[in-house]
Amino acid sequence: MEMPKVTRRTFLKVSAGSGAAAAAAPRLLTAMENDLGGKDFGPVSGAERKAIPVNCHVCNIQDGAIAYVENDRVVKLEGNPEHVSTRGRLCAKGNSGMWYSYDPDRILYPLKRVGARGEGKWKRITWDEALAELTEKLDAALKEDPNTIMLKYGRNRTGGSIDRFMKTLGSATVVNHTSVCESSKKIGMEPTWGPDIETPDFANAKYVLNFGSNVLEASYFHNPLSQRVTEGRVDNQMKIVTFDVRLSNTAGFSDEWIPVFPATDGAVALAIGHVILREDLQDSDFINNWTNVTVAELKEHYKQYTPEWAAKISGVPVATIERIAREFATTKPATLFTYRGPAKHLYGSYNEKACMMLPIMTGNVEKKGGYCLPRGMGWPQPMPEPGKPAHDSVLAHPPEYPLAAHKVSHLVPFWIAEGRQKINVYFTYQDNPVYTNPGSMAVWGKLFKDEKLIPYLVSMSPFMGEETALADLILPDCPYLERWEPESMPNSLWPWLGIRQPVHKSLGESRENRVLLRDIIHNLDPDGKRGMKQFWDFKDGEDYMRHHFDNVPGLKEAGGLDFLKKHGVWPIYGKLDPKTGKVSDKTGREIKADYGLYLKELSAADMAGATVDGKGIISKNGKAIGVRREGKNCVGFPTGNRLINVRVDQWADYGFNPMPTFKRIPWHEAMKEDELILSTFKLNVHKQSRTAAVKWLAEIAHSNPAWMNPETAAKLGVKTGDLVRVESAVGHLVTKAYVTEGIHPKVVSIPTGFGHWEYGRLATLKLKDKKGEYSHGADDPDLNNVWWDDKGVHPNNIIPVVADPIGGSQGWYDTVVKVTKAGPNDKYGDSEGNWEKHVAAYKETMRYAYTGDLHRKMHPEMAAWAGPDSVKHKAGGGH
Amino acid sequence: MSEGSKVSTGGGKRRYAMVVDTRRCIGCMACQVACKAEYDTPLGVNRTWVPYKVVGKYPNVKKQFLPRLCNHCEDPPCVRNCPVEATFRVEDGGFVLQRYERCIGCRSCMAACPYNARFMLPSHRTYTPITNVVDKCTFCFHRVTQNLVPACVQTCIGRSRVFGDLNDPNSEVSYLVAKNATQVLRPEEGTKPHVFYIGADRNATEFGRDAYQKREVMEPERSAFKNHFKI
Repeated sequence: MEMPKVTRRTFLKVSAGSGAAAAAAPRLLTAMENDLGGKDFGPVSGAERKAIPVNCHVCNIQDGAIAYVENDRVVKLEGNPEHVSTRGRLCAKGNSGMWYSYDPDRILYPLKRVGARGEGKWKRITWDEALAELTEKLDAALKEDPNTIMLKYGRNRTGGSIDRFMKTLGSATVVNHTSVCESSKKIGMEPTWGPDIETPDFANAKYVLNFGSNVLEASYFHNPLSQRVTEGRVDNQMKIVTFDVRLSNTAGFSDEWIPVFPATDGAVALAIGHVILREDLQDSDFINNWTNVTVAELKEHYKQYTPEWAAKISGVPVATIERIAREFATTKPATLFTYRGPAKHLYGSYNEKACMMLPIMTGNVEKKGGYCLPRGMGWPQPMPEPGKPAHDSVLAHPPEYPLAAHKVSHLVPFWIAEGRQKINVYFTYQDNPVYTNPGSMAVWGKLFKDEKLIPYLVSMSPFMGEETALADLILPDCPYLERWEPESMPNSLWPWLGIRQPVHKSLGESRENRVLLRDIIHNLDPDGKRGMKQFWDFKDGEDYMRHHFDNVPGLKEAGGLDFLKKHGVWPIYGKLDPKTGKVSDKTGREIKADYGLYLKELSAADMAGATVDGKGIISKNGKAIGVRREGKNCVGFPTGNRLINVRVDQWADYGFNPMPTFKRIPWHEAMKEDELILSTFKLNVHKQSRTAAVKWLAEIAHSNPAWMNPETAAKLGVKTGDLVRVESAVGHLVTKAYVTEGIHPKVVSIPTGFGHWEYGRLATLKLKDKKGEYSHGADDPDLNNVWWDDKGVHPNNIIPVVADPIGGSQGWYDTVVKVTKAGPNDKYGDSEGNWEKHVAAYKETMRYAYTGDLHRKMHPEMAAWAGPDSVKHKAGGGH
Repeated sequence: MSEGSKVSTGGGKRRYAMVVDTRRCIGCMACQVACKAEYDTPLGVNRTWVPYKVVGKYPNVKKQFLPRLCNHCEDPPCVRNCPVEATFRVEDGGFVLQRYERCIGCRSCMAACPYNARFMLPSHRTYTPITNVVDKCTFCFHRVTQNLVPACVQTCIGRSRVFGDLNDPNSEVSYLVAKNATQVLRPEEGTKPHVFYIGADRNATEFGRDAYQKREVMEPERSAFKNHFKI
């Protein structure tokens, strides 16, 4: 393209290089406010760009987006203005999602390892060769035992095709990543009220308690919820109080940031509950009618959790706890939000439960401005569907963790090393535990380098991440802008269905995942005799989507998949109002959400043949379907008894406290004066492992010095930029210090997403040393402008595994470390973890499982429990 | 209206302005990245950016963001100082724009701008062939003339950035400027900026560029930058 040539006369036309744009515009606008998107024009060409609605999938918030295409290239992404949650906006990550597609180091062809594992020597092969080799391996594995075929996924938004694939093979060895994500939050919530997350109605709240969520930077559901947080805070004068060990952007935005000692949020929440109940500020009607405990029982139970007790543990002053309790209980409506802060600890499930008790006991559940149930939508699966595998897998459902319905994936390498399950073929999909998991290279790297334990490692990935670099075969998957996928996420108070659709032909020879899986199955069962092919009878990704969406009631009438291809989302609740940034209905008023879902009345048909017991529980065919209250047959909560279970009896079966409780981390109590706790976090512009190669995000944040309080730094004799040595029980690292007022003095905190040793040349800052080798994708000339020279240091090698015996969660924020000024032999970037020491940590954490010897010691209040042998019905687990 | 905001009115002309409500800024950086995408802006330079500062002492600490961009001044020193009339002000709308084909890259405008809002484009860009001339924020002239808000406003999660016609008394920017105490950056320069801040801390904004992190935090980045671009 040439530079626009101009004369002085056509001065306006070429301003900002937008000649055509100015020429095409008849005059400057007359409308009162400019539109908030939905169209896009090239600043140089002036041409309107082709708009293709998609669902964002840089992270897992699942915003509705529009991809704008010029010259067959996605040049711009913006929020879909028709999307009720997203309302036309995207975060920094979403705005840069096209760099997943155009990463110059993207893998575009099947690759076969030719050197030693991890040596980085690859041979490009054809798909036919790749599938033939894989078929041979799968054939052999199937003959031995289908469960020797393992698949571990990180982010799986395939809408069922991964599960279908593994069921087709007859293997139950499917492992996810949830235990390093938020699992104990889910397990804290699910037995209590049904769903695994809440939807706080921030826009209408007057008071918010935020325990350890950094919703303004990451966490569920960053963009949609942040929009509502600012609305509530500025337009509705809501007060927000954040408990966190670190001044996150959320804590900084809050009216009050209250630093807590790590892992003690639960104690603070219990003490707040204590004050509310002591001062009789609870909502007695709600507790008595909608929970399985009485106010009297609750008052009795909470007597033990005094503010004095919590203050001693957490460092939050008694007066603060009492004041916050009164404010929260007397300001209506109020809500609460948590994320990983309370949950990612040894007893994270207890912490989460303690937090969620506060909106429950104050009756803020399902109120406008309160603590609402998530709203989601489902879709049917293509028929026929494969059945359940014949045998369960010990890796997917470890018997020591019967309550951990979202699995305990971070302990899997130790179980494989112990020989608890033989693996012949290991598939990985959108996962990178070698980077993301505790132990990192020291644990998962060790596992994958052992060809006896993992004889054949297949990576379905577009990127040469730390795990893929250790693979034997790489099948080039497509990034999200080149895939068909169904989507729904409860990221606002309005449910929706959406799709991802390819914005252009997949680059190189990459194949989108569901097509790739189909091709594997078709190769394995070419004539259908094995009974596998029948489950994979679809032409392409779009055809698969038709099976999902063409028969959804309501959507079907609107046009089914064709409607979604055009709009990206269904239903469309209204129009984005440029004056307010909110969604308005036909009358110009903001749309309203439904509240009080549990009060919805059962229909006469539902009630036909139903019985009501003395407590008002409505049952039909042996199953509770609702609750009768004040003469109304209400649907209640999506739990077994349709009530909120403050007392979770199933926990007691395994010797856990069924009531709200708190357990201190034993090794925190034994900490020495000069020891600190290491916590990790995500920054506003990065995901955990997949964004270091996204140039615009890497430019904003590319290194991760260790945050420490000035008081701590003074004791160590360290200032910003100095090298420090951080040593845990399992390893050590050397990084730089960042001295900041925004952190608890007993905490050292290192953000994740940095310090990659794989993931392409940008993430590893090897742009000058190496030419692209796996890819025939275009190089990006802009990468000549990469000016930063520090890629950071990844902390996971030195973080040992901890598993919540209830929820199975990794205790990310439980690591005790010693920080010292770096010595003469310490080099920036040193990072070392020791396998034997990690194994010792694994063995130690298993002692807290209900089958372990420390379980009883941690639960003196459950002395009457008859022990692990008393458990009759082992829970199946698995969601 | 508050300090530095004497706006030309009349003549039926539009006067575009941006209000940055810092109470609503969550520091998410969506604006900065949306702008990069909109203009294929190369690494190392930005048309808009969001510096921040940590203020206060533990535990009463706050992170303060100050989104920055060209102020589209009523009296822009860059225009006055450009020897070749490459930079100019559009009467209808108030956009301060750059004509790349006239720019000789002398950097006079960069030196004249009290807001550091202008930059030299490097030699390498992803797909846009305009290089080695001075560039800046255009208030998204090409979008605004198509009745769209600027890209940074479009994606602003907190609705911290609001854009509109200050000459239209019914516009949201008119309302916000009328009803709130607003600030502009470096009013003492007499440039009459048209980016109005709500809730900007005078201690942080008096000298325009001081909302940044402490020097020792910034220094390694600065020297890496200077190293790379041989400044």
